[in-house]
Amino acid sequence: MQIIERRIGQSVILDLTGELTYANRAPFKAAVERCRQGGCRHLILNMQGVRFLDSSALGTLALLAQSFSATPGMVGLLNPQSYVKEIVTLANLHQILPVYQSEQEALAGRCLPAAG
Amino acid sequence: MNPVSGAADVSEPAPRIVDKPLTGKAAEPVPVILLVDDDEITRISMAGRLKRLGYRVIEAGDGVAGLAAIRAQRPDLVILDWMMPGLDGPSVCEAVRADGELRSSQVVLMTAHDQPEQIAEGLSRGADDFLSKAASKQEVLARVQASLRSSALVREIERTRDDLDRSHRLLSAKQAELESELQSAADFMRAQLPLPGMPAPGVSMQWAYQPSLALGGDLFQVSAWGSETLGLYILDASGHGVAAALRAVALMSFLREDNLAKAVGSFDPGAIVTEANRRFPLTQDGEYFTLWVGRLHLPSRTLSYAAAGHSGALLHSLQGASQWLSSASLPLGFDPTIAFDSATAQLQPRDRLYLLSDGIYEAPSPTGELWGRDRLQATLESHRTHTLAHSIGDTMTTARQWLGDDIFPDDVALLGVEVLDSPCPAKEKS
Repeated sequence: MQIIERRIGQSVILDLTGELTYANRAPFKAAVERCRQGGCRHLILNMQGVRFLDSSALGTLALLAQSFSATPGMVGLLNPQSYVKEIVTLANLHQILPVYQSEQEALAGRCLPAAG
Repeated sequence: MNPVSGAADVSEPAPRIVDKPLTGKAAEPVPVILLVDDDEITRISMAGRLKRLGYRVIEAGDGVAGLAAIRAQRPDLVILDWMMPGLDGPSVCEAVRADGELRSSQVVLMTAHDQPEQIAEGLSRGADDFLSKAASKQEVLARVQASLRSSALVREIERTRDDLDRSHRLLSAKQAELESELQSAADFMRAQLPLPGMPAPGVSMQWAYQPSLALGGDLFQVSAWGSETLGLYILDASGHGVAAALRAVALMSFLREDNLAKAVGSFDPGAIVTEANRRFPLTQDGEYFTLWVGRLHLPSRTLSYAAAGHSGALLHSLQGASQWLSSASLPLGFDPTIAFDSATAQLQPRDRLYLLSDGIYEAPSPTGELWGRDRLQATLESHRTHTLAHSIGDTMTTARQWLGDDIFPDDVALLGVEVLDSPCPAKEKS
């Protein structure tokens, strides 16, 4: 999995490419932790390049939502595609992780209260 | 009896270091050289030269005694005379190479004649090198040192091989122990599953279960909850293997009828899932469960159910259209504060209710295309006229054919319950 970090104002966007699975969750968690250590309170996960998400990754995302919410902070998903979008919907993940269709929307989401 | 006694004159003179080649290596063991020669004068002369070079020398007077000395002493180097009565030098070489214990011995043939044909024959019969009886002190030292270097390397390789063999045996034993324990655990898990047949009067049940590893994180159960209701559930612990299996058993214990009465105080599926959601938060590694719980009231054939992130329940109706009994809901532990509601469905005689894990419809084809819920549903529906056992078995076969393999990448469970034609016994509520 390829992870590219972009800072835009107070927000951080992680552009993810590849598969988000149990096997590669360590580099993903490390990238998130680096953002957190850098003081990031608003994290946007750009899912456009993610073609597969397994059940373990769902748990990782849920854990992320819980921990950022407690900080307090906010995590959002940007533009999940096809299979990933279906999984996120089926697991109702959007209840705890807001899903945005565009980067502008996602960046504006920073102003919204964190999802509970 | 000394294996190198008899006709052979064998002795082990005390090492006497008079030359410099081994200076500075006092801490290392002195290399042992076996000298085999029937000519006593030549043998004593060569032994003296070797001893003066600092080596420990043992001697044998013929081929048979020499072979016995190789077996008994395992010298670092053997110097063999070619011409000897009985077993000559090349024959000793052949015997050494034919013996699995000795074949890596370093052997130098010593001869007065060093014709190319003789050298070729000696090498082909197992010698490593040649040494002329007329060799100078420098040549003897050089050849012996070269042979001892080879010998040391071979010994090192043998030690490494022995270490590897020991490690391999140890690992194999540990692996066998671990596999045995895993098998016991897998047997235990399987023993938790319901017996196919009739879990209640008027209801038949069949299932197929195939964990992706020895232990799976999918479990299901169908059992009587009181006299008029049948409890059903299927759970899926995220991840695979031992950790997922242990967590699955923990949730299964929670879902036992007697525990539900105490911990939840109700057999309402929504209440059960809500309490499970509270008690089973996400682990620190983000592991969690999905769960589907149903409660079938037998006299009225009314099914109430609730799901937490689990989408694997299909009602295959004989009369109407099939229906997936799930709703968009979070898996257990994603949000411990939420409540789950029960929904209801009405079953008719000969309707079938299938509980299944996502591993079956997420089976990928060799090109990566998932089998999907639509194909799964169509396959189950195509078996309407077949028995429930046939339907389950054939659907598993079709999924494997799609996968192009016998082993699914995820745990697979497929359970079917059929409400029979015969009227359910009308029992009074207690």
